Amino acid sequence: MSSVASGTGMEVVAATRPRRYVDRKSLIPLLLFLPPSLILFTLFVVLPMIDAATFSFFDWNGYGPITDFVGFENYADVITHRNFGTAVRNSLIVVAVSLLIQLPLAMWCAIALAERGAHINLIRVLFFLPYMLAEVAAGLIWKFVYDGNYGLLPAIGGAIGVDMPFVLGDKLWVIPAIMLVITWKYFGFHMMIFIAGLQSIPNEVIEAARLDGVKKWQIVRHIKIPMIRSAIVISVFFAITGALQLFDLIIPLSNGGPSHSSHTIVTFLYQFGILRMKLGFGGAVSVLLFIACVIVALAYRRILFRVEQN
Amino acid sequence: MKHLALAAMLGLAAIAPAQAQTVVRHLHITSIPAEVELMNSIAADFMAQNPDIVVELPFLENEAFKAKLTTLLQSADAPDVFHSWGGGVFYEQAAAGVLRPIEDVLSDEAKANVGTAGISAFTAPDGHLYGVARDVSEVVLWYNKTLFEQAGVDPASMETWDGFLAGVQTFKDAGITPIAIGAKDKWPAHFWWSKLVVRLAGQDGFAAAARGEGDGFAGEDFVKAGEYFLELAALDPWQEGFLAAGYGDASGYFGDGNAAMHLMGDWDYGAMKDNSADKNGIPDEELGILPFPTIEGGKGDPTDTLGGLGGVLFSRNASDAAVKWIEFFNNQENQAKYAADAYYIPIAKGAADVMTNPFKVQIGQNISNAHWHALFFDQALGPNVGGVVNDISAELAANAMSAEEAAELIKEAVDDSL
Repeated sequence: MSSVASGTGMEVVAATRPRRYVDRKSLIPLLLFLPPSLILFTLFVVLPMIDAATFSFFDWNGYGPITDFVGFENYADVITHRNFGTAVRNSLIVVAVSLLIQLPLAMWCAIALAERGAHINLIRVLFFLPYMLAEVAAGLIWKFVYDGNYGLLPAIGGAIGVDMPFVLGDKLWVIPAIMLVITWKYFGFHMMIFIAGLQSIPNEVIEAARLDGVKKWQIVRHIKIPMIRSAIVISVFFAITGALQLFDLIIPLSNGGPSHSSHTIVTFLYQFGILRMKLGFGGAVSVLLFIACVIVALAYRRILFRVEQN
Repeated sequence: MKHLALAAMLGLAAIAPAQAQTVVRHLHITSIPAEVELMNSIAADFMAQNPDIVVELPFLENEAFKAKLTTLLQSADAPDVFHSWGGGVFYEQAAAGVLRPIEDVLSDEAKANVGTAGISAFTAPDGHLYGVARDVSEVVLWYNKTLFEQAGVDPASMETWDGFLAGVQTFKDAGITPIAIGAKDKWPAHFWWSKLVVRLAGQDGFAAAARGEGDGFAGEDFVKAGEYFLELAALDPWQEGFLAAGYGDASGYFGDGNAAMHLMGDWDYGAMKDNSADKNGIPDEELGILPFPTIEGGKGDPTDTLGGLGGVLFSRNASDAAVKWIEFFNNQENQAKYAADAYYIPIAKGAADVMTNPFKVQIGQNISNAHWHALFFDQALGPNVGGVVNDISAELAANAMSAEEAAELIKEAVDDSL
């Protein structure tokens, strides 16, 4: 976790790096450790990306040679597809919920649980547990919770005398239901990052502030949060890119339904690109998603850099 | 030293047959445990007779199977033999060259065994035979006699569309869910649209639309099919939360006696029991099959059936041993075992004669008397158009799309893939 906290320290290190390359001591580990990751990265990230980008200009059903060049037709089909807008909207909702609900919640829990102690550790583990569950398993668990006939939710509703809807079969409720699962699943991860950051704050600073009569929330606002800035930066980045790539929770929960109302960009790609055997179409979606992710990453760095300079 | 050499030779001799064994991998989608047992025992019999062949029976769940097959067939991990529903997906696989033609390898006996319908179902447009038919199936309107009595609905009154709608309303008034449907999976919903199309457009109308002739799927009969579907959907006949229910959920809902009807393939006879809470489902004496309501002025023949003609295909690198295994698996004696336990209706000549299950016997007769046995539309039309058919069917069931828009979307998909 400490490596995460020092994330923005990278630029400082980078400045002294060129000189170090000449150093033979660091050359050997470089030659030793770089190739495996570079090969894996090339094989499983770069090459598939190039492949997908190539498919996106062809009409291809997944079988046999790729011959039918169609130019930008697949891209036009994606943009004008009747369900693409919904998928983009849903992905943006996931980003918004991650940033506006999940991260503040994680921060609140982190501040409450940053102290040491046996009972605190237990609660921390409980909050972190959902993150360790496999996505598909978590999706299936919640599918049972939401099940309108036998699920936990209608049972609770029945106990308090409220008739609960079949949330996963309801266009109105399916998105909030999925957002709840996402928040439940991932806030523990961000909480842990924040806790690691909070624990690295020297006690003396807090102590001194207290002696000066600074109120509790002021300590949080003016000392704690600014001092774990780097942890927050990393968390926000993970939250955005993770949200854009959300897939494996949706499939067991709603499979994009009802009426394709709960697709994210990636489940949209899977449903209409892969299952319908229109791999060119799928390739076009993935290229668009890739471009979006790159823009987010670059813009994010840019904005942060500017803020840092000010 | 001599002993050592002898031991080594013996050791080699023991290994040699093992190395000469051919492995046949048969990918199936059977999930009912007892049926898998039966398949394993047939494979064991075969291996006892053919010590040089090892049959492996890997399994993939239905939806996962469809999603994975394209990649699987083009990988080094391709199975030798795999399940197929025939139709458009099979034609694309054949055209792509991932299948092995077997007309020269398959024995005449095995060819005669599946009959002309079985041969033509697995012959691709290029004229080659790529697979062996195994079973026929029909989508029928299962009904729960107890619930019909409770609501006071006469099954005979349901034979026309108007009578059917009136019956559904009676169930609604009696507080009984009229129809179970697994609309999350979409294909169960497409059976309703398909049956309406079979009634309204008939064989020639459907074939012309699939070729993109005239107005294609935007033609009058297809818009009408959507309108009839919407008429039914407007009565809100489905179980609560039907859009979140998969096939298994709906099958269990019907099996638990919670819905009066379920439009589903004959396989649901076993699956409905397996999916029910007590694993017994609806007892035979309380279960019945309704003919799908007839529609006045429809161009379809009243005997037309909708269903499947399933079987197996051989992948590009399949060995002769794979064909030998399927000849054995699909022979009358082994297929009779499937018929006896009512898992499906075998196509193998004479195998279905041992069927005692009255439902399967009736369905077997329906199919053999049919003027047209329409293949599942989502398979017959290929993955893309089929996917759109499934989509619009789920939308129509939810009363969330107009009949014109539904018809137009299918036509667009057909034009796109022509």
